[in-house]
Amino acid sequence: MPDIRFEDLIEAHHDEIHRYLWRWALTSSGSDPEADAQDLTQETFLRAFNAFDHLRPGSNHRAWLYKIATNCARSAWRKAGRVPTAPEAAIERFPEHSASAPEQHVVDRGRDMILRQALAELPVKQQAAVTLRHLQGLDYPAIAAALECSEDSARANVYQGIKKLRQSLVRREEV
Amino acid sequence: MSQYHDRDEARWAEDLRRSLPAPSAEAAAQSRARVNAWFESAAPTIVWQRWSTPIGPLFLAAGGEGLIRISYQESQAAFLAELDRRARLVEDPEVLAPYRRQLADYFAGERDRFSLPLDLSRLTDFQKRVLTTIGRIPAGAVWSYRQVAEAIGKPKAARAVGQALGSNPLPIVLPCHRVIASDGSLGGYAGGLPIKRRLLKLEGAQLI
Repeated sequence: MPDIRFEDLIEAHHDEIHRYLWRWALTSSGSDPEADAQDLTQETFLRAFNAFDHLRPGSNHRAWLYKIATNCARSAWRKAGRVPTAPEAAIERFPEHSASAPEQHVVDRGRDMILRQALAELPVKQQAAVTLRHLQGLDYPAIAAALECSEDSARANVYQGIKKLRQSLVRREEV
Repeated sequence: MSQYHDRDEARWAEDLRRSLPAPSAEAAAQSRARVNAWFESAAPTIVWQRWSTPIGPLFLAAGGEGLIRISYQESQAAFLAELDRRARLVEDPEVLAPYRRQLADYFAGERDRFSLPLDLSRLTDFQKRVLTTIGRIPAGAVWSYRQVAEAIGKPKAARAVGQALGSNPLPIVLPCHRVIASDGSLGGYAGGLPIKRRLLKLEGAQLI
């Protein structure tokens, strides 16, 4: 029997799981990332609920939820086809940076959008690893549990992902 | 040299956060409300209460299918931890009144069998078999663990019977207190041996 109640699991982790899936939705081809993130979050907790009795006491339930969320995102993109966000579409849905000057604003926005697209072009496991590490703040044991791989492999996926992001940004800059 | 060479971890994290910002607070609240609404409709509800009885405090819990738990646990947290982790818990003595009424009659010596819906769905088949079998022991009588084992057709399983009785979720109603060791000693009891002795006396059992 798990050592946490399901309602406490929702209370403690809903927001970060939603944030994680929202970030997946931002790098997908869907036209409504807010609705997609909501659907995926709902699906994640539904799957978690059905599998909850198998969660062993003492296991990392946060990493377990991330594992389910990652699988949900994966199967959604597999169904829909994971086409990287087109630059124009990405710009449209990009939130405003209110503090910066208008010209700087455009430059920042362009660069942020390029980074988003570069992330979307990574292999799924690397995108997940980079997102979990640098955006969701998970440590490597938790990333390994979420991606069902060794800690070394989790590190390698973050490293390779960042390396490819760097190459991709340099390439775009040269163009 | 490109600005993208030799960037440290913190810098990547910062750039990625700017590129993929968190959702708005409204979007997060909307999603949370949706998940909570689904949970309320999907999860089983368990109502519970702490109740003072002549034999001491008891915790009771029931779901839609019937009584789930009668517990001698002293701490509320330990009692709640025994209940289905997926369920929504609601403290509501009102709903439990019908269960309390029959138990109160029993403690007053005015009833020696119960007609209450019981939810045994979380038990193994073996536990169910043992617990429904001991329901046939009349008030005032006692069986040995071995007799119960024989009654379920597994004469060598006296120890397993003892374990199944030890995890009886519905003591008193499923009268595991009526099972004692074959040498006449009381054996064990979740509520402690003084309570076991007291229940047997209440029922008029002849003890050595």
